Amino acid sequence: MAGQSDPHVSLFSPAEIEFFAEDEMVDIVPNLRVEALNMICGDYGPFTPQIPAKVPLWLAVALKKRGKCAIRPPEWMSVERLTQVLEAERDSSREFQPLPFHYVEITKLLFHFAQDDIPDMYLVKSMVEDIRDVRFHKVELGLETFTNRTQAVKLKNLSAMEANIIRPFSVRALQAFYKHDIPDVASQTAATVNRPSMADRGPRRTLRPR
Amino acid sequence: MLTYRRSLNCARSFGKFVVCSWKELVSVVFQVTANGVGLLDPGSETNSVEQGAKIDVTFWLAQELYLREAASINLPMHFNQKTRKEVQADPECVDLRSRCPYFYELGYKIAPMVADKELGTFISLTFNGRYKEILSKSHGAAFAAVPKFLPRLTKEETNLYEAARNSMIAFKEWRLGVSRLEGASVLGRKRKPIIEREEEGPMLKKLYNGENVPISIFTGELLQDPYAIS
Repeated sequence: MAGQSDPHVSLFSPAEIEFFAEDEMVDIVPNLRVEALNMICGDYGPFTPQIPAKVPLWLAVALKKRGKCAIRPPEWMSVERLTQVLEAERDSSREFQPLPFHYVEITKLLFHFAQDDIPDMYLVKSMVEDIRDVRFHKVELGLETFTNRTQAVKLKNLSAMEANIIRPFSVRALQAFYKHDIPDVASQTAATVNRPSMADRGPRRTLRPR
Repeated sequence: MLTYRRSLNCARSFGKFVVCSWKELVSVVFQVTANGVGLLDPGSETNSVEQGAKIDVTFWLAQELYLREAASINLPMHFNQKTRKEVQADPECVDLRSRCPYFYELGYKIAPMVADKELGTFISLTFNGRYKEILSKSHGAAFAAVPKFLPRLTKEETNLYEAARNSMIAFKEWRLGVSRLEGASVLGRKRKPIIEREEEGPMLKKLYNGENVPISIFTGELLQDPYAIS
């Protein structure tokens, strides 16, 4: 865990998160015959033209760059599904809709390398951007509710990249809040007779309401 | 003679703000006469500090004096009523950095030592009030426009702000760029035969403080200690 003296509290750079995301499986449709690939992590193939296959994203992008396959976008990346998700995100002000954990990275890679394989690419792109904006706005609203009494924060259905963005800030903010809570305890122990109004601070909130 | 040496080992367990805040000056009132430390009191004729003298010392010394009951600590003027009123009026506009860059750290440490029970609550309230502002400005604001309130933040708040800004900037850069491959920093230029390279002089690496230090062309490590006092 990054120590307090580490100026770079963010543990992962966005490129590293993208690296993790590339392990997700996607469907490809090869257009050339490719023999079996024996890799350290496993064997893939052999690939026959027009027969769909499931490969990790890094392999799909590599084959696509060499012009050997076409990547089939995942089901959740269709316009209908994304519209539903966007509507649901806008309707609920505190909850996040279930989305694949690495949806930001996967969409970014596919938009860059497989533009011709995605139907209505510009529409899909703008919808993903909107979804990202709405979700991040909700994250910020939630971050505003930090107080001295925040002990734990639970964010359901948050994606990897979003978590990575707020990780350094929220960790440091919670540390700061925790540290500045201590003087009240010190002043409380010093004045045993005259207890300050600590009891009516409000109930301790252990989890942020989802 | 009151001698005091700080062990640097304990600095390792502290955050960087804790270490820096030790150097802040606080005013203390000596309860005893101290001989041999007249250096601390600019107005003393003899080499000693009289009882009841009010002088400014660094915070680490003040804490030790307090623990040995040799001095009592006065509340620094940053935490007085005037500041409190300003914070109550509008926490975000109070310029804490010009008052005390380590406002929170110092307050947090002084609270148990000073006869003021409200200090801890005051610190918490100040931080709570300014936190929302930091949050909203740090994540979403335009990068070119440096917000006006940035010079008003203490070091700890700036730290928080920078963390959010940097991660946001890194994310935006990643979104626009694609290639993850970077050239190794050792390979500064095209490879040439070693003999030619040696004739040109040692390969230099520019340090972050602007100095040029020769590096080995094989391993890239520094051939000269940049911290050695020459």
